[in-house]
Amino acid sequence: MKRQHIPALAGLLIVAFFMAFPFLYGANDYRYIMSLLIAGFYYAILASSWSMLAGYAGQFSFGHMGFMGVGAYTAALFSHYFYLSPVPTELCTEFLIGNQYLVIVDAIGVTSSTLNQDCLRQALTIWDGSVQVTPMPVWLGIVLGTVMGGLFGLLIGLLVLPLRAAYLALFTLGFSEILRATISGEIAITRGQAGIEMPYLFEQGITLFGRYYDKTDKIPPYFVMFFLLLTCLAILYYLASSKFGLFVRALREDQDAAAALGVNTTRYKIMVFVITSMMAALAGAVMGYYVNIISPNNLMILQMSLVVAMAVIGGIENIFAAAIGAIIIQFVLEILRNSFEIGPFTVDMTIWRLVIFGVLLMLTLRFARNGLIIPIIDYFSRGHVAAETVAKRTAGIDKAEGRS
Amino acid sequence: MEFSYIFWTVLSWMIFWSVVGSFVTRRIYLKRDLDTSNAAFVGSMMGASIGPFGLVPLCLNTPDLTKRLMVAPALAAVAVLMIAFAFADPENYCVTSSSFVASQIVNGLIIGIIYGFMALGLSLIFSILGVVSFAHGEFYMIGGMITYFMTSVWFPGLNPAIAILAACAFTFLLGAVFERLFLTPMYEGKVDRPVEYGILVTFGLAFTLQYFVQATAGANPFKARRYLDFPVLRLPSSEDPWLLRTSRGSLELFEMITISNPRLMAAGTCILVLIALLYFMRRTWTGKALRAVSQDREAAAIAGINPDRMNMLAFALGGMIAALAGAMLVQAFSWLPQVGAIPALRSFVIVVLGGLGSLPGAFLGGIIVGLVEAAGTGCIPDTQRAASYIPAYSMIVLTLTLLLRPTGLFGRRFAGGAHGKF
Repeated sequence: MKRQHIPALAGLLIVAFFMAFPFLYGANDYRYIMSLLIAGFYYAILASSWSMLAGYAGQFSFGHMGFMGVGAYTAALFSHYFYLSPVPTELCTEFLIGNQYLVIVDAIGVTSSTLNQDCLRQALTIWDGSVQVTPMPVWLGIVLGTVMGGLFGLLIGLLVLPLRAAYLALFTLGFSEILRATISGEIAITRGQAGIEMPYLFEQGITLFGRYYDKTDKIPPYFVMFFLLLTCLAILYYLASSKFGLFVRALREDQDAAAALGVNTTRYKIMVFVITSMMAALAGAVMGYYVNIISPNNLMILQMSLVVAMAVIGGIENIFAAAIGAIIIQFVLEILRNSFEIGPFTVDMTIWRLVIFGVLLMLTLRFARNGLIIPIIDYFSRGHVAAETVAKRTAGIDKAEGRS
Repeated sequence: MEFSYIFWTVLSWMIFWSVVGSFVTRRIYLKRDLDTSNAAFVGSMMGASIGPFGLVPLCLNTPDLTKRLMVAPALAAVAVLMIAFAFADPENYCVTSSSFVASQIVNGLIIGIIYGFMALGLSLIFSILGVVSFAHGEFYMIGGMITYFMTSVWFPGLNPAIAILAACAFTFLLGAVFERLFLTPMYEGKVDRPVEYGILVTFGLAFTLQYFVQATAGANPFKARRYLDFPVLRLPSSEDPWLLRTSRGSLELFEMITISNPRLMAAGTCILVLIALLYFMRRTWTGKALRAVSQDREAAAIAGINPDRMNMLAFALGGMIAALAGAMLVQAFSWLPQVGAIPALRSFVIVVLGGLGSLPGAFLGGIIVGLVEAAGTGCIPDTQRAASYIPAYSMIVLTLTLLLRPTGLFGRRFAGGAHGKF
């Protein structure tokens, strides 16, 4: 076996491990570990798509969580405000589609009194269980969220066309903050800080290979998230190794030179924004359905910092390294959560772990610019190249100096 | 809003014509082979203010885009927006109560001066290192934290001036050490993309500092006591103090404008330090060296200035300025480890709005952002909503600046080095 095949083999082993894990693992903290892994996959999608945007294309966008929020909130609002009913409610705005009515529920925001119900709840009280209202399918919410994420990516991509480096970072940070402020401000529609509830990913449960899984079961969302991660990685890998990857890397190195050599920089810059923001929106929508709630706190700068740090510590110029880094760091952060006591002092690890994490981020940047995982991959896949180069060079020097 | 449709109609009309104006004007100036650097800005402002009536003559005559032609339509556009708001919401305090408006304007100016001062530090870092320090807000937070802890927890009864000086000294050292440890690879050509490296590493510093403070000081809000009480004054007489009336914590002018003591003191200190800073930058050798490095690194190096040392000085000084702003404001706002995020974003906005490395630009930008925020928080009808949108006001200013005039108010058109790119 050649050494350069080891990373691919290790990748296959990791995939096989994650495929088998839910069935093999049986300890008491099963649900906890499973939800950790689901969150890990979610961060892995965000980190790897961000590494495509920042590491490959050189667009240091801090708005990735904003795109995630666009996806999640589109899905949430869609599930929250749209229903199908066989009978007209005559209270809500509604349209006849086929033999069903599309009911658009009115926005009432957060209310504690039961008197002030939205129009659909009022109608349901009047019907008293005689009519069954169907919520919108979850997959449609996810698709809409992804499409909306792509549209926002297109818009932001168009707006940031003339911006570079620091300006781009500031503008995208601004976009993310405006979005967060809008969501927290429009309480009537988005319920503000309270967050908006979302249905389960599989509200009715699901039967897979002859086994029924409840809606709260962890296995279906685990595999949904895992396959999404694999799909995103496959797409990103295809893009990175195709002409597209070459062009966006040219964009990163020197935009003007790339344009002068005939790369359509406008097109590729926008394309990379659209693709990565669609992935972020997809991850956001699925994660929202899995945890049943989305709130503006998910868009905070802390979340963006986590994604950035995961990608940087893993390795920003390799999507797989970023994804693996995200999963590992998600785990390490959770393990470090346990507070402990030294004498009279209680060390609150929920905060200190983030300090450690920040220091690790700075040290990685300072001393291992390629991240911590890329060097390992490179050691196996390219190590022989380096050795050969050194051998050739010494041979060349020997020849030039007349030694044998 | 009572007639909100008026406001939204006018706003969409303005947006439509400003988009049309920016594209068409630029196109026409390009076609006639004229200077296009300001064409899009003038076109969009002309479109926003008087719509097609301004755009048609502009495009037919294609006059030279003088400063007057740039400022007048921009002011007119703001005026149109204000008039539309007044018609849409005649009951609003911003329209009916002149004392409220005056109060908002004065308070906006005062807070704007402080914002501008803080942005000055960022501008200094930006113009010399070519890097946006994402840790600027954390220096601000630490300045306030140290001052609070020194005056209220560690040494109760300590003179606040000593605490403020200690906070400044500490942040200066912190900035210098961080620059030496983490930012040096940028200038030595060891990193492929220095600007991005700078962004990420200062981002890491911000993250670390914020959670370090949260871990050591806790997440409860603090508020320092007032440093100084006003003397009780009644002018012109104690019976009829229409001109000026003070209590210990606030000051009232003309019976309509109320200014709180901490903010006035903070603004006063900022102005004094700003004058000192201007003297330092213009008159001393080190200050001149700093400005020289910001203009041209290589030429400065040839003239015997060590640019690396200037980098260290600029980063430390920039952090110290932010810390001073924080130390002055800890008596006005309640202080949390997360308090730096919004001022940091605001400083970015001001730096971009004022133009890179421009000190007067940073100051004017600060005042503009202060006024915009005062208008935003004071005039939006639903107070809760207005408060939620606080971070968004300055971001809207940023978006408009980057779209319309990326060089900012006083930006250099042909800047060299890393910060010339955007």
